[in-house]
Amino acid sequence: MSKQRHSASEWALIAVVVLYAAVLLVGPLLSILWGALSAGTGPFLREVTSANALNALKLTLLLGAGATVINTVFGVCIAWVLVRDNFRGRQFINGLVDLPFAVSPVIAGLMLVLLFGRDGWFTWIADALGIKVVFALPGMLLATTFVSLPFVVREVMPVLKQIGTEQENAAYTMGASPWQAFWHVTLPSIRWGLLYGVSLTLARAVGEFGAVLIVSGGVSGLTETSTLFIFRSLDDRNYVGAYAMAMVLAMISFTILMLMEFFKKRAGTRQ
Amino acid sequence: MSIVLENIVKRYGKQLIVDRVSLEVGDGEFFVLLGASGSGKSTILRMIAGLARPNSGRILLHGRDVTPLSPQQRDTGLVFQNYSIFHHMSVAENIAFGLKIRKKPKGERKAKTEQLLDMVGLGGLGSRLPSQLSGGQQQRVAVARALAYEPNVLLLDEPFGALDVKIRTQLRRSLKEIQKNLGVATILVTHDQEEAFELADRIGVLERGRLLEVGVGEELYARPKTSFVATFLGAGTVLVGSAASGKAHFNTLSIPVPDDIPREEGSRVQLLIRPEHVVLSKEEPPEGAHVLGRGTVIEQNFNGASRRATLRMPHMPATRQIAPPIPFGEEGFLVDAIVPADEPLTDKEVWVSLRNWHILGPPVPRLMVFDTASGSTGPLKLARHLMESLEATATLLAVADGPEAAESLRERHKRRKDDADLSEAEFRIRYGDAAEQIISEQAETPYEMVILAPAQKRFSIPDARADGPGSLVGKVLQQSQVPVLIAKGERDRLSKVLICTAAGEPGKSDVRVGGRLARRLKASVTLLYVNAQSDLPGPLARVHLERAAGTLRSLDVDGEIRYRQAETAAAGILAEASEGAFDLIVVGGHGPGSRKLFKLNDVTRQVVAGSNCPVLVVPPDAT
Repeated sequence: MSKQRHSASEWALIAVVVLYAAVLLVGPLLSILWGALSAGTGPFLREVTSANALNALKLTLLLGAGATVINTVFGVCIAWVLVRDNFRGRQFINGLVDLPFAVSPVIAGLMLVLLFGRDGWFTWIADALGIKVVFALPGMLLATTFVSLPFVVREVMPVLKQIGTEQENAAYTMGASPWQAFWHVTLPSIRWGLLYGVSLTLARAVGEFGAVLIVSGGVSGLTETSTLFIFRSLDDRNYVGAYAMAMVLAMISFTILMLMEFFKKRAGTRQ
Repeated sequence: MSIVLENIVKRYGKQLIVDRVSLEVGDGEFFVLLGASGSGKSTILRMIAGLARPNSGRILLHGRDVTPLSPQQRDTGLVFQNYSIFHHMSVAENIAFGLKIRKKPKGERKAKTEQLLDMVGLGGLGSRLPSQLSGGQQQRVAVARALAYEPNVLLLDEPFGALDVKIRTQLRRSLKEIQKNLGVATILVTHDQEEAFELADRIGVLERGRLLEVGVGEELYARPKTSFVATFLGAGTVLVGSAASGKAHFNTLSIPVPDDIPREEGSRVQLLIRPEHVVLSKEEPPEGAHVLGRGTVIEQNFNGASRRATLRMPHMPATRQIAPPIPFGEEGFLVDAIVPADEPLTDKEVWVSLRNWHILGPPVPRLMVFDTASGSTGPLKLARHLMESLEATATLLAVADGPEAAESLRERHKRRKDDADLSEAEFRIRYGDAAEQIISEQAETPYEMVILAPAQKRFSIPDARADGPGSLVGKVLQQSQVPVLIAKGERDRLSKVLICTAAGEPGKSDVRVGGRLARRLKASVTLLYVNAQSDLPGPLARVHLERAAGTLRSLDVDGEIRYRQAETAAAGILAEASEGAFDLIVVGGHGPGSRKLFKLNDVTRQVVAGSNCPVLVVPPDAT
């Protein structure tokens, strides 16, 4: 195989693209690393293992997992109904699923405060159930779920459409109940698209900032997620703390990203 | 009886997909439903499997009424056209799926799977994934999977459609063997005749949702009952002649008529000639041979083992070809013969005689008559005249908007039927919008013609300003697939027919239908061509008119040709009609779905509006 010879102008173009990627993507990562270790590894480890930091990380992962589970289960249901059923208002619901993309996360958080805060429309429900929504975990979970809602639905819908109903019909004639057909036939067929959607959901949930900021009140140690921790640390001029947490978050996101790429590839190669 | 269908009907929206189909499949029988695409065969299969619900009718499997049951409860095995095997499971897992659902123990599943893999010829391939199999192998998996749990009934929906010819033949043989060994009642649905003949114990021919004939393959091929089945199964030509002294006469050829076919003097008899029945010879055939005549070889098509020769026979009086439709302009008829591939015909003209043939039952055309508002008996008397001349049956259709209106309509029609002496006509009531119901009726039952009597007071498909598209006549003309006779005036006899033709497409069916009608009515025919410039036609028009005259001659009709000059075509036609005292004007329509009818200067509309004698509007695809 002969090696491709690039002309000078082609090299120039390649250089521009590489520089662009470097500045936009690699640069920030390197600077975080630098900032985190600028005071040495000792302070870095101290900051990262402090009680507030650990609580923040725990909360981030908890909310991430919770939002992902909720959105997976309900997302598959929504996708199923939108693809397989035909009913009035289907187009409208379909559009509604994209609402979290259109709405700023800050507005989402505000909306939750309006609904569940003082004199909110639904506050009486929360009070009756004895749970506090805003400035507490339930509200943060709702916010995180809202912003990461569309991914599973959007990834599962085209796959569902593509596999069609014939395999399920075959299962029915062989005696499988609708649930059995779903579990043994449909779910395995959509699994890669579904997993890709799940990893997108997790990535988005972990990185959420604006909505939880409004809804949580940011009480450190209690209702402070990793992103809020970074925000407060910067405010407190605790740069090492901020950079340290940022680096941990970056590593988590990177892992999720690798998972995403893996699932995407498997979803793409399935015909 | 393993499978019984009782009057199954299925509609999707307004369209009738399956029309009152009833059939029975015995234990262990291999039944094939044969039909073209869109004939409703897949829908019937899905209804048996439970994947679709019939609108009415019952389905019984082994004596059990399964119509209300879900597919899970019916215990059928279904093989789809595009395999539909589970892609994420191995071959063995696919086959064992039905057993797994039924909670059979692992050992039993394994044993059965092995047995089935061997049966379909995939021994040892249990651990493969579907993506690693060829199309033929995947289909074998689908069959094994459907048989694994020993269903009562096996259903196959064009299972070999997507495969190569060689694989298809192999699989067919395998399937036949497996079915014989297992003795499971089977219905296979296909459009491939060869497949049907090879596999079926009995075949059912399906056309547009209707089950036409059912029988053993050889019977259906050799002795079909209708000309549709005759030309659908295999090739052939159907000729119409007339009966005299107990024999059917086709010019000089006379064929004995079997006892079960009506043969009163002069009645029409249909003769089916298949290519393998035809004998070609250079010398005149000996005494006693059934000679059709001398034919001209126009084509010889190579077919592998044989050659298919097409011969043109000269026009024979009192003989007409009705299937397949004769090309426009042909005066005689065409006959196909089979010639060995290594002995092609070298002579241009040969003697054509028959070694064998089949006489079909007589065709009985059906007329639809709709007249609720004309206030006179003229249209009904006209219908009677047509019934007699065409030896047709008639259905008197009335459309009501409710049961009370229906009762009064029934009464009124009874009286009018008696007045017009139409007692043999069937009376049918439908509910809803008149035009829509007329078209639906047409879709559900084959009619030769619709006779419409427009409302006396305000007959119109006049200007677009008025109720043009909304009027009954307008709506029916716009959607009808068969010729529509607008009964105007009080004539009860048609003896002078004016066929108006323009050069180009719309002209052909008018001439054919008009000519055929004229012959049965024993009416005289005039072919009219109207031109704006001069009364002499240009070369294109002349050619068309010659061909039109040729077609008429093939129908045994002598047509006079007249040219006329007029400002507009419609004016010319109407003038000619009144001057010549014609009883019927035949014009071409635009066919269903076209909106051309309502253009202001549309010829058809103007003629219908302005004429005071009946007008027959023929859609372009009418045969």
